[in-house]
Amino acid sequence: MRKVGIVGAGITDCRGRWIEATYWDLFQQATRRACEDAKITTAEIDSVVYGIYNDIFEHQAIPESSLTGLIGMANKPGTRVTSGGATGFYAMRTAVMEVASGTSDCVLCVGGEKATDCFDPRSKTATPMVIDTIAKSWDPFFEYPLGATASDSYMQLCMAYNDEHPGDIGDPLVRAKIVEILCHSGNRNPYAQRRDETVTAEQVMTSRWIIAPFLRLLEVCMYTEGAGAVLFASEKKAREISERSGQPIVWVRGIGAANESYSPGRGGNYKRLHRIDSDRIASERAYAAAGVKPSDIRIVELHDAFVAQLMITMGELGFVPVGRTRTLIDEGLMVDPKSLRDDQPPPSGKLLVNPSGGLIFGGHFVGGSNMFSTWSCRREMTKRKVPLGMVHGTGAINAVFGGAMILELDERSAR
Amino acid sequence: MTTRRGQPALPLDFNLPRDWREIQGRDGRTYLQFTTHMVTFYEQTYGEHSRFFMALRGGRLIGSKCTTCAQVMVPAATWHCPNCNFAEMREVELPHRGILAHTAPVTVFPSASFIGDAPFARGYVDVATDAPIASYLPSRLRTTTGLERPGIFVKGIELKLVFEDERVGSIRDIFWVPMTEIPPPLRNKQPLLASELNFASPVPPEVKKDPAKAAAKDRAMAAMRKLASDVERSRRAQADLANRAFVLGIKTGGGDFALDVANSRLLIREGLPDKSDFILVADDPDVFRAWVNDGSLTDAAVEGSLWLPNKEAFQVLPALDRLPRSTRRDLREAK
Repeated sequence: MRKVGIVGAGITDCRGRWIEATYWDLFQQATRRACEDAKITTAEIDSVVYGIYNDIFEHQAIPESSLTGLIGMANKPGTRVTSGGATGFYAMRTAVMEVASGTSDCVLCVGGEKATDCFDPRSKTATPMVIDTIAKSWDPFFEYPLGATASDSYMQLCMAYNDEHPGDIGDPLVRAKIVEILCHSGNRNPYAQRRDETVTAEQVMTSRWIIAPFLRLLEVCMYTEGAGAVLFASEKKAREISERSGQPIVWVRGIGAANESYSPGRGGNYKRLHRIDSDRIASERAYAAAGVKPSDIRIVELHDAFVAQLMITMGELGFVPVGRTRTLIDEGLMVDPKSLRDDQPPPSGKLLVNPSGGLIFGGHFVGGSNMFSTWSCRREMTKRKVPLGMVHGTGAINAVFGGAMILELDERSAR
Repeated sequence: MTTRRGQPALPLDFNLPRDWREIQGRDGRTYLQFTTHMVTFYEQTYGEHSRFFMALRGGRLIGSKCTTCAQVMVPAATWHCPNCNFAEMREVELPHRGILAHTAPVTVFPSASFIGDAPFARGYVDVATDAPIASYLPSRLRTTTGLERPGIFVKGIELKLVFEDERVGSIRDIFWVPMTEIPPPLRNKQPLLASELNFASPVPPEVKKDPAKAAAKDRAMAAMRKLASDVERSRRAQADLANRAFVLGIKTGGGDFALDVANSRLLIREGLPDKSDFILVADDPDVFRAWVNDGSLTDAAVEGSLWLPNKEAFQVLPALDRLPRSTRRDLREAK
């Protein structure tokens, strides 16, 4: 397998709704910015991987077909990846494999979503229809007819975790303090959807209930319209591009993925409801591939669909003990970016978690959210000279899809 | 999802008039949007799942059991064991009782197709408890004690399987009720039908009158009377209440009162009314003071501090929840 590096990345502004652009233009904007970042033209790109979660959002089956020519990928191979919330991660994994295998020297991985054109005729608002569109990810026989939604699916998991580990994710103040830190991160991200908001722990704890007792309105990710692109290249090509662009290479040092069974149950290969085993297995594979351990990593961009799930995921990724994930706050492991200069690495033993603001403050355009995370992780590693970072993605019913990618700043740039 | 046989698969009001409209972007320029849809109709085949749903129609619950490892899948999602090199799985009759595998969430803000059904609870039930390995059944969870709320469906409780009287072959043909709510003579009945249980008139929970809470009730009454008088001067609040008429009898630990909505006005009265549309119960009267101070009755119902008999009662809350904000905005603008 060949070494693979990230040589460019670009994202659009994250918005609740883009009136000024369809997903055609959003994907083009992200591609254009990634090319500008790497100082290359599309002629140098061998192939493309698209991350698009849901045809219903895009209002077109085979949505990638109309993009091909518009983003300069005519007459090149193109693969669309769709894996629920983990679509972005799996698209990047596909792109990395394509370079690592020697099939391509430079691959564009671009993902995004146009989600909030959906509209519910009865409530006269978008949200119930957006939720319904996501709920179509559940099967039509057993789950969808019961009224499954993404929120209650993830909360089933969180409540099952709380059954096993009471007093951890169940403390509303701990969750609210995490939201406060994420808000400060979002304030520093010029593309974040909620970059101008100020949210205090107090506001979190009095915001409207979505699902009691684990989910208030200010603990939930957003629906975002936007797109993100990442350029992956072989070692030789990456060095050549890096020389030209002046941008340090960020290497993909290890990547791991795992999907659990759709059905929860007891024993065998059934999904354990009180754990996110997909996150655990994916990260163990990524650590093994990279030859590093959680304590080597100082920046994490993880898929925070909900704050309680962020805490469980941090446990599964090995950064804090499962059952005592509240140490993120209790022991001050999750550093507030306000306490750091923009070029300062987190102090030893501390972690920058979702410096982009995550999916809660930054943005969640499903098919490209993990590219958004990668864009941010690379940006922070480069600015702060942090040698190792991690990007995580999760998705599907009960968070059964999981992936983790360990990134390493090129040592010449790290010095 | 309340569609039954013969009703349109897509409700008739689930539609938009054709429209092309100008809309302003953030950049100040004018853009266009149009209304459209992406609807597909299906004659959805059940295939290998047919046996499971045919069994439900017949008042039975079945799973598939592996002839090699003895694991049980419920629902019978496959007839070839994925863990045993696709060994044959055979039909097994399952008991009409199970254990709730985890504490279950209550959904309050449903997707577009389920608006009107909320709040509702769903969770995973361990049915094949004798099997060494088993999947859980995704299930509707219902209570005969009023609206579904936190604290009822907690991990490990025993549940009784209940069948709808009229069954079509849908996962909604069945639901589960806490065994403690099932009258003992019915606990072993198979199938137990929904009509054999009383969901229509749940008994309100007892509240112990506590003199210490009387002062809280007085404060709540004063706050609500102020709100009612503000409604008299607020166009927005009157619009919130337009075309609504209902009487709520409210029992609290500090004493009872009535909340009357008619003619776009709100009236607060001492004591329980002779006739009411719904009886609500809150041990702590402060629930109502918090509501007036920009809190929310919906939130109180969601977290379980306000008891409601049914979904119809839940649906009157959003209009009441809008009143504090509407009156504040109108009165501020009037200043």
